[in-house]
Amino acid sequence: MSQDYHRQAHSSPSDTGSTLPVRLFFASALGWLMISSVLGLIVSLKLQTPTFMASCEWFTYGRLEILQRNAFTYGWIANAIFGVNLWIMSALARFEFKDSWLAVGGWLGWNLALTFGLGAIFLGHLNGYALLEMPKEVAPALFISFLFAALWPAVAFVRRPTGHVFVSQWYIIGASFVFPVAFGITQLLVLWYPTSGVLQALIHSWFIQNIQLLWIGASAISATYYFISKESGRTISAYYLATVGFWTYFLFAGWTAPASLLGGPIPVWIQSVGVTTSLMMLVPVIILGINFFGTLSYSRGFAYAWNNTTLRFVLVGMVSFVVSSALNIFFATRSLNAVVRFTDFTVGQQQLVNYGFVSMVFFGAAYYILPRVTGSFWPSAKLVHLHFWSCVIGGLGLALHLLICGYPTVNSGVMSYYYIPVIFFVLLQLVGHLAFAINSCVMLFASARNTNDNPHA
Amino acid sequence: MKDFNLILSGIFFTLAASFGGLLISSEVQLGSLGRAPAEEGGPLFPPIETGLAIQGRQVYLELGCVTCHTQQVRPAGQGNDIAKGYGPRPTVARDYVLQTELLLGNHRNGPDLANYGARAKSDDEIHGHLRSPAAGSTMPAYHFLYVVDKNGITQPTERAQALVAYLKSLRIDYNSPEAKLKQ
Repeated sequence: MSQDYHRQAHSSPSDTGSTLPVRLFFASALGWLMISSVLGLIVSLKLQTPTFMASCEWFTYGRLEILQRNAFTYGWIANAIFGVNLWIMSALARFEFKDSWLAVGGWLGWNLALTFGLGAIFLGHLNGYALLEMPKEVAPALFISFLFAALWPAVAFVRRPTGHVFVSQWYIIGASFVFPVAFGITQLLVLWYPTSGVLQALIHSWFIQNIQLLWIGASAISATYYFISKESGRTISAYYLATVGFWTYFLFAGWTAPASLLGGPIPVWIQSVGVTTSLMMLVPVIILGINFFGTLSYSRGFAYAWNNTTLRFVLVGMVSFVVSSALNIFFATRSLNAVVRFTDFTVGQQQLVNYGFVSMVFFGAAYYILPRVTGSFWPSAKLVHLHFWSCVIGGLGLALHLLICGYPTVNSGVMSYYYIPVIFFVLLQLVGHLAFAINSCVMLFASARNTNDNPHA
Repeated sequence: MKDFNLILSGIFFTLAASFGGLLISSEVQLGSLGRAPAEEGGPLFPPIETGLAIQGRQVYLELGCVTCHTQQVRPAGQGNDIAKGYGPRPTVARDYVLQTELLLGNHRNGPDLANYGARAKSDDEIHGHLRSPAAGSTMPAYHFLYVVDKNGITQPTERAQALVAYLKSLRIDYNSPEAKLKQ
């Protein structure tokens, strides 16, 4: 069905009004990525040397770690999602974005609200739930801004001139719908009108799984589908399975929430539901693996992918996706979870998902999209290589270090040299992000200057 | 699968299913949970927090302590929390019914604090740990919670006193209908 359509529908949306919001989303994503990288370095230094910057309350480890996590998720990942989803949907649906100023308003609102929320955390006004730490008063601004910034892919889908659909579009629609619903419900039931006791923890775990799998994960899966097909020029392998993969992914993901609370003070039957559905996630993960790797498994397909900048990043993301999904599934079982829960092993799992998979796919997406929305080439190939290798060694090295050393270290007392590799890998990531930011900024500023010089260009 | 309404309806169903199946059913089971005596006619547990402990909870929150410390003890078959001495029994849902903002935590750079109040020997010991953590600990010193008076003696600020009151209030050394203390 849509495979042929998909191949022909990749007209660049550079002349359809989407370029300005996409450029702005990427610019702010870059800014937040640099901020979170610097915070990540400070946090890792504080773990090695707890006295580092310890005299001021603002720089307490607890606050900075929360700031880093929020800047990374709501700053880098969210802005990248807005930009990538809008661009992909505009390309696939041939969307004429006439009211792009609304998305620009959403971009401005989101980033202002985020800045205010992170400032509040820095000053000590925070909540105790991961990714809900910003003061609840910021939530309405984030919610409304999201509607303006991120619902355009759905509009593009509805208004598409032909009836054809590609699998990426399903995931984007799902992601655009899940975030406001899960975020709104959780804000209401945890912060505005709090339910009693451990119900809050359950609702929060439901929120985290939905955000992680159905907003961030679904967006990255959508981009993976799009770029492996687009850049390799191949149809998706076993495409008929994609529908099953999509629905099973969305059906099981929310139910896996209690697996993150195993052994906690919640009813045992709920924990068992979480374990069971986590195992059932094998179905969509296997299908996604077949779709992703099958598409590139033609003669010299992987070699081609390795020599293509976008696909090289996406390839790393695909491998990370499969490995991290397998780890998440198997370490949701009671016996394994009992060993690793609360340890740095779980931080390694998150690193593999959020960095190895999601961030690498969005880096790859940026290498494809930014030249098309700025009308320029990447200024330096060396910086691209530096970005790739720094992020692969730094990002995946950190994940491996935490996965291999995180369990025994934390369980048997912290060893003095345990955090030194962490600092090295985080520093390496910072170098890679700096290379990426320099390259991107040159393009974005050149593009902005050209637009100002010649507004009719 | 080309119809927007069909896709959106399906996604809504998947979200509603997990929300209903996990959260609404939990509300039905746990929503009316309240304080209870371990034995008929006995005092109600969990105990109500004192004023100073409530203020200390806010300090705990502001300093981001929840990033490194959990407040939950897993049962013996699910981890070794009890063997490590984090608590005499696993924590259960009833232990948290009075908490308007749960601070369960999900990662341990430091020990679990669910029963820290019972483990700590004195206020001075807790103040000492906050001012000057043990060598090798990843916990920073919270010097800014203390001031030196005109006689050169280090005194805790009101926030430090509140934080210590809160930490002392963290106890699960009582029997609960769902979890008895180890004999």
